Amino acid sequence: MTCRLTRLIRGVPLRILTCERRRKSEMPGARAHLESLLRERKLDVTLTSGAPWARVARDGAPTGIAQIDDALGGGLVRGHLSEIVGPRSSGRTSVLCRVFAAAAERGEAVALIDTCDRFDPASAESAGVDLTKLLWVRDTGNADRALKAMNLVLQAGGFGIVAFDLADVHAVAVRQFPYTTWMRIARVIEGSQTVALIAGAERIARSPGGVTIALDAPADGPRGRWSGTANRARLLRGLDVQPRIVGMR
Amino acid sequence: MYIPSYDDLTPSIPDITPGEPLARVQQILPQHHRPVVAGSPPPGDMSSARLFACLRSTDAKEMLTLVAIARDFSPRLERHGSTSVVLDVGGLGRLLGDPETIARELQRAAAARGARVRIAVARTHTAARLLAACPERAKRVEGGDAAEAVASLPLDTLRVLIEDRYAGEPNAAQLKATTMRLDTLRRWGLTTLGEVAALPVADLSERMGQHGVMLQRLAAGIDLAPLVPDPGTPRFVQRMELEWPIDALEPLSFVLARLLDPLSIALERADRGAAAVRLDLRLVDRTVHQRVLQLPAAMRDPRVLRTLLLLDLESHPPSAGIDIVAIEIDPAPARIVQYSLLARALPSPETLATLAARLGALVGETRCGSPALLDTWRPDAFEMQRFAPESPRANRESRFAVRDSLILRRFRPPVAVRVTVDRGRPVRVFIDRRGMPGGHVQQAAGPWRTSGAWWDAAPGAPWDRDEWDVALSDGSICRLFHDRLGDCWFLDGVLD
Repeated sequence: MTCRLTRLIRGVPLRILTCERRRKSEMPGARAHLESLLRERKLDVTLTSGAPWARVARDGAPTGIAQIDDALGGGLVRGHLSEIVGPRSSGRTSVLCRVFAAAAERGEAVALIDTCDRFDPASAESAGVDLTKLLWVRDTGNADRALKAMNLVLQAGGFGIVAFDLADVHAVAVRQFPYTTWMRIARVIEGSQTVALIAGAERIARSPGGVTIALDAPADGPRGRWSGTANRARLLRGLDVQPRIVGMR
Repeated sequence: MYIPSYDDLTPSIPDITPGEPLARVQQILPQHHRPVVAGSPPPGDMSSARLFACLRSTDAKEMLTLVAIARDFSPRLERHGSTSVVLDVGGLGRLLGDPETIARELQRAAAARGARVRIAVARTHTAARLLAACPERAKRVEGGDAAEAVASLPLDTLRVLIEDRYAGEPNAAQLKATTMRLDTLRRWGLTTLGEVAALPVADLSERMGQHGVMLQRLAAGIDLAPLVPDPGTPRFVQRMELEWPIDALEPLSFVLARLLDPLSIALERADRGAAAVRLDLRLVDRTVHQRVLQLPAAMRDPRVLRTLLLLDLESHPPSAGIDIVAIEIDPAPARIVQYSLLARALPSPETLATLAARLGALVGETRCGSPALLDTWRPDAFEMQRFAPESPRANRESRFAVRDSLILRRFRPPVAVRVTVDRGRPVRVFIDRRGMPGGHVQQAAGPWRTSGAWWDAAPGAPWDRDEWDVALSDGSICRLFHDRLGDCWFLDGVLD
C-alpha cells in the first residue's frame, strides 16, 4: 500500500506514508491524517470516500424519503453526481419530485433539464414542489443540447439540485456521450453545494462519491397500488417504489 | 431677437445725433424704441420675465408626483420640504401664454396624474410659495409685483415657509426661535404680510436683528436666495460612431465593452444600477436595430451587461452592418443585499440573468423559466415565467390533490394510440412508435370525464375527454384519454 500511495501522491510527508510500518494501534489516527491530506489535495475521491470509516456525518441533501435517506446516511452527497435509474413507471420521477420538494423546503433553488419535455407541473406541485424555485429547461429531445444546458446551469452555480432527465432518451443516444462528459460534469460541481442528478432508464454515470438509486420492479407483481374490486370502484392509489442504493463507495 | 442698429434708429429719433454720449443715448432711447435684450422683457411681455410656479400638496407621499409634473414643464425646479416644489416657468410665456394659462396647464397636468395640489404663479419663488401655502387664498396667479401679491396673506403663512426651511434638520432650536419671532409680530398687532413688509427696516433690525429683517423680506415676497435647481436624474448614455461597419458579434463585443465600462463607472459613482439597457444599432441600410433588455435586478457589472447584450444579439441579430452603436441605461437605485448566515444563498440576479440569456439562446426564450399553473381545468395548462427564486411561494390551493401521489410524465402533444374497447373499458393498447408503452390492460381505473371551453369557437379550444389510468402488461402505468369530440384515443402520459 505504501508503494501505491507513493506513486499516487507526490509531496505528502514521508512520515505519513510510512504509517504501515508503525504499530497497528496507531493505524486509525495516521490513516485519518493521511486522508485529510488527500482531501486537501483533492485526491481523496478515488481512495478514501468509499471506506467505511469515511462515512461520517456530512452536509447531505435529504431526499425527503426516509428509507432512502437512511440508506444514504442523511441524503445525497453534495458536490457529486448521482443518478436515479429504473424502468418506466418505477417511480423515478416521483422520487425526483420528492427530492425537489425537500430542496425547496430547505429554501434551495432547483433546476430540471427536461430533455424530452415530459415534466408535468401540475402533478409536481401537488407532490410539494415549489414551482417558483424550479428552473425548468424544456428541450425537444436533443440530448446534446440538453447536456449543454445542464453544463450552463451547473457552471452558474447556486442551485441545490440540478437534475438531468434522460429517462425517455434512447439508450443509444445516451451511450454516445463520451465518458469524459460525466467526468467533466463531476469536476464542475466538485466542492460545491450542488447535487447533480441524472434520471434514466438504466445506469448512466455517477461520480465516485455519488450514488445510484435503483428503482426495481417488485417481484410480486405490478407496481401500481390499486383499490376497489369492482370495475367502477377501482382507483389507482399510487406506485410501489422499491429503492436500492447501488453505488455507495 | 432683433437689435436695431444705430442707422435704423436715427431717422425716427431726431434728438440723437452722431457723437452723443452713451448715457444720453440710453436716456433718450427707451422713449422711442426698446431693443429686446435677454433678461429685460418688453412691457407686458411675460415670455421671458422672471416667473415661478409652486406646486404644493398636503400629502408628502405625492412629492414624486409633484416632481414629475414639474419636470414636464421645466428642468429648473427646487424642492422645498416634503410637500412643495418650485419651478422656473420664466420662459413658458412664449409656449403657453400668460401666467393664468400656465397655471391652468399645470392644474390640468396635476389632474391627469390624479394629484391634489395647490398651484400658485408669481414673480418670485418666495411669493409663489406663500400663495400656494395659503389654503384660503382664491386667486393664486399674480403676474405683478410680488409684495402686492402677498400683502393680504395672513401672517401665519410665513410659518409654513419656515417649517419647510427647517424640515429634516435635527436641531429644532432654529425653528423654535423663528416661531417665537412670528409670535412677537402677532403680539405687535400685525395680522397680514403686508403689514410686516411695511415696518421700518431699521427699527425692526434693532428689535429682532437680522432674523427679523429676513422675515420681513419673506413677507414682502423677496427671494432670500436664488432658485437652486434640483440636479435631477442624470442620463447614462454612451455612443460611438464606427469608422468601418461591423458585421460580426465578436468585434462588436469590444465596442460594447468600451461603451459599458464608463457607463458602469458612472453608475457606480451615482450609486445606481441598470434596470434596463437600451441598445440602438444604426445599420448601414439607414435602419435602426433596437433592443431593450429588462433586467431582473439593478446591476452594473460591465461584463454581465456585455454578455447579456451579446446573447440577446445572438438571438436577434441585426440585418446589416453596424455604423453607430448607442447604449442608454435606465438607472435604478443600487441593490443592497444582506445575506443570511443560516439560509442557503440563492443564485444572484446577475447570475440568473446571464443564465437565462444563455439558456434562451440555446433552447429558446419560451422554453426555460419557472412553470406557473393557470387557473383553469384544462389539462396541462401552464405558462412559463421568469425564474425568480426569491419570489414568495404562490399561496394557491392545489386542484390536483385527489391524485397527489402520482407524478405524470406527459407527452406533448399526446400520442395517438389504438385501443381495443370491451364493454366500454380499454382492454388492449397499441402504439405504432418504437419505445412506447403498450400491451394488454391488466388494471384500469376510470373514466374521469372533463370538458370545457365549449363556448369558445376557436379550433382546438374546447375539450371533452374521458381519462383512464391503466396498467399495461409491459409493466408501465399510463394515462389514456378518449377524446369524445374526435372519437379517438390518446396517450396522455406515463405515471412514474
